[in-house]
Amino acid sequence: MNNPHRLNPTSLKSRFTTRFLRALTKIRAQKPISSSSPTEIFRRYRRIKVAADKSMAYSVRSRRIWSRAMLCKLRSRSYRRQDPCSGRRSGKTNQAIMKKSSNENTTTRREDGVGFVEEADELRQLVPGGETMNLCNLLDETAHYIKCLTTQVQVMKKIADFYSF
Amino acid sequence: MADFSAQSYRQPFPFLDIDPTMESLTQFAELNPQSFILDNSAFNFQTFFPLSINDSLLSNQASQGETMSGFIHNSNQSSVSAQPIFSAKTEVEEISNKRKALDILESSSGNSSSSSPQVSETGIKRRNNSGKGKRAKSNEKEMEKPKEVVHVRARRGQATDSHSLAERVRRGKINERLRCLQDIVPGCYKTMGMALMLDEIINYVQSLQNQVEFLSMKLTAASTYYDFNSESDAMERMQREKAEEAKELERLMREGYVGIGGVACFHSSSTYGPL
Repeated sequence: MNNPHRLNPTSLKSRFTTRFLRALTKIRAQKPISSSSPTEIFRRYRRIKVAADKSMAYSVRSRRIWSRAMLCKLRSRSYRRQDPCSGRRSGKTNQAIMKKSSNENTTTRREDGVGFVEEADELRQLVPGGETMNLCNLLDETAHYIKCLTTQVQVMKKIADFYSF
Repeated sequence: MADFSAQSYRQPFPFLDIDPTMESLTQFAELNPQSFILDNSAFNFQTFFPLSINDSLLSNQASQGETMSGFIHNSNQSSVSAQPIFSAKTEVEEISNKRKALDILESSSGNSSSSSPQVSETGIKRRNNSGKGKRAKSNEKEMEKPKEVVHVRARRGQATDSHSLAERVRRGKINERLRCLQDIVPGCYKTMGMALMLDEIINYVQSLQNQVEFLSMKLTAASTYYDFNSESDAMERMQREKAEEAKELERLMREGYVGIGGVACFHSSSTYGPL
């Protein structure tokens, strides 16, 4: 039962899969035998989750507002982790910029004239970078974000099943 | 020249009124390129008669009804890619300016990016021309064509200032996108109102994010378990991991189009995959 067709090697799914698997092997190579303390496990869980988000964001590059916002957030967080001094400089300015823009937008209380302000605000909190979008773009970004999330879940499910054999 | 263009401009209208069917519009389109060869930017006829831009498209297609359904299907399938369908906000302002200047019919049509043939909903509505006195009631015609410019036509009895026009275009865009989302998100019914649909969408995004968290936790557990029970030789482990990674990629690629059938497909494929 050989499938003659091959999946598109440049599709989102394959890009995400390669990146994520590479990150996973890197993580597991870093800490070969880890103690079973909860903090260690939690740390690894955080690392894996960040790796998942990062690989997804990198697979989408900067084509989408949400991916750009997510990459920005990840970078600022990593800068803060590595070097507190530089983190204070770049991370703070980054966060200051994002906070400032989000404050501006929330205080102006986006009344788009359509009347779905509460739900729209909730959606803005869910989608990364959503604070700076009007309703029209927000719906666009949500659709793409949902598509990427479903791909992510699909791939991670299969990997988890493989590893738990 | 102005007389000629004004005269030729007025000519097609009798066709429109007498025979409000699709065929008349195609006739109109065919008439278009002949009459408006002398169009120039001064009158901006191109914006009023966008059919002239795509007359080749029109002539190729037999009936508008077919194209309409075809484009709708296209939009439903390609909606996931979610490229911005509508682009021209400036065009609307442009048109409203021209409208104030000339006060003539405009056609409302959706917009589509020039690169991809996606759906643009065009409603061509007529409005009582003040210069002609009483005419036939306005009809709404839906024609789907990939366009590059957004035109908005005022309906009979509706406000025609630029603000409400822009509002209507925006609301149309938002509705279009909500409809695309409705196809993606399971559990959304057309009978539901916008607020309910947004709630469903929010729930779905939250559940997907939770699933990602849960799966990463599962992966952590699996990897720590695996580490505890693996051999102590690091090199061998690394090699095995690399081999597994390659195999797994292969398997994922193969399974990609078995569908989201999930576990069943996974098990069935694992039997024949060389381990």
